[in-house]
Amino acid sequence: MLNSQRFRKLLAQPERLTKELLLGDWLVVLASVLFILLLFKTLWSNEHAAKVQIRLGDKIYATYSLNQQRDVHVHGPIGSATISISQGKVRFSKSPCHNQYCVHQGWLTRAGQAAICLPNQISLELLGETKPYDSLNY
Amino acid sequence: MPKTLIFFALLALILFGAYQLNSKEPLYHSQSYVFGTLVDISIYGESDERARLLSNQVLQDFQNLHNRLHAWKPISEGKPSELGQLNIAFEQGSKPVSISPDLTAMLADATALSVKSNGLFNPAIGHLIGAWGFHRDEFSAVNIDDEKIKTLVKTNPSMADIVLENNTAYSKNPAVKLDLGGYAKGYALDIAANYLRKEHVKNALINIGGNIIAIGQHGDKAWRVGIQHPRAPTAIATLDLPDGWAVGTSGDYQRYFMLDGKRYCHIIDPRTGYPVQHTQAVTVLVPPQLPKQTQAGVLSDVASKPIFIESAVNKRKAAQVFGIDNFMVIDEKANIFVSKEMAKKLNWLTPNVKFTTIP
Repeated sequence: MLNSQRFRKLLAQPERLTKELLLGDWLVVLASVLFILLLFKTLWSNEHAAKVQIRLGDKIYATYSLNQQRDVHVHGPIGSATISISQGKVRFSKSPCHNQYCVHQGWLTRAGQAAICLPNQISLELLGETKPYDSLNY
Repeated sequence: MPKTLIFFALLALILFGAYQLNSKEPLYHSQSYVFGTLVDISIYGESDERARLLSNQVLQDFQNLHNRLHAWKPISEGKPSELGQLNIAFEQGSKPVSISPDLTAMLADATALSVKSNGLFNPAIGHLIGAWGFHRDEFSAVNIDDEKIKTLVKTNPSMADIVLENNTAYSKNPAVKLDLGGYAKGYALDIAANYLRKEHVKNALINIGGNIIAIGQHGDKAWRVGIQHPRAPTAIATLDLPDGWAVGTSGDYQRYFMLDGKRYCHIIDPRTGYPVQHTQAVTVLVPPQLPKQTQAGVLSDVASKPIFIESAVNKRKAAQVFGIDNFMVIDEKANIFVSKEMAKKLNWLTPNVKFTTIP
């Protein structure tokens, strides 16, 4: 396949590369590229920065990085809620709901933590590298 | 010859690599607000399209059940729910009214469970729950009327007062007001699990307002559920939910109000008429049940209530009434008690959790 003599000749005349490369050579190239992509996928895909996923009703409203300082305003069925993101943590800071259970939940910091505002149909969930469980019993 | 071999080996490697890059876990996940709460459905191993259709059907069934069984909300102005109509009939006298066959079956089952629990699980105390202000979407601290509560307890509403015959019902006691809040979610879990199994779904996890039932597993691992900490926005532990098992928690943090620094939750001791204050949370883990008996979903909803209401020394006995071996109790001082069977199944999420094993 990558016979070194043949290869040296080809390198000297790169314009003949596509003509002279054999099927086996192409397969080696393709396999290498795929291998590198696979390595990226397995080693690189778990980003370390945790994120917060905001859901409104049955839709994912937005996903934000936690590495920032910002307030997000989300309009639910009963009004506008304020969700505060602050350097690695997130909370409901204002909500139009009656009992304020969501605000009382306070800061969420670890992956898998969640806060729900049932009346306003808004939920926060911290996404991490792995999900500690599939669903929450409460 | 070896050249062809190498060629095919390479080809196989490429195909495998391409497959790996393309493969996405076949997990469908949806969250919706029905049943007055959050419903969370995961389906594993079906196409997204089919999973979406199936879970939409489940959600629609939930919404119908919710409308029919709602304890205080009418379907529309002046048109009470099926349960609401029955409650009006109970209050007005002992003339039998016709009800649908599935409601008849639910009431018969709930009555048997109530009798078994010595009345600690009592869906007939709707008037008491209303007196505490919990029959409203937006409830507030109420002025506690001790006299009224005493009177309501004295009227002794009981499931055994209800007479069921040929899909009709009447109550021998006009004080009976049905509130299936501690039954309907579990019933809906069983309905959903049966439906998905009938549709040949092999793997699913259904969560209605915190009560969860498992079908099959999540890929090559069991479905894993987190158990909510009663005072923090985090899970306290996780456990694996095998095929057919259900888990349910009764907590004082789901519906409550604070008055003079005291917490008044929606779980009311039918014997005293007052909200229970000695317990923060009770979790029960329920194995699959035999056919034609009360199913795991209903038990996961019902069985936690008597354990919650009973005093510490009687909690194990309250669990045994329903054949529950696996349960966890968190008391008012945040002490954790775990049955010895449950202790083997829990994975604590923080190190050095102190708990007492109930023998």
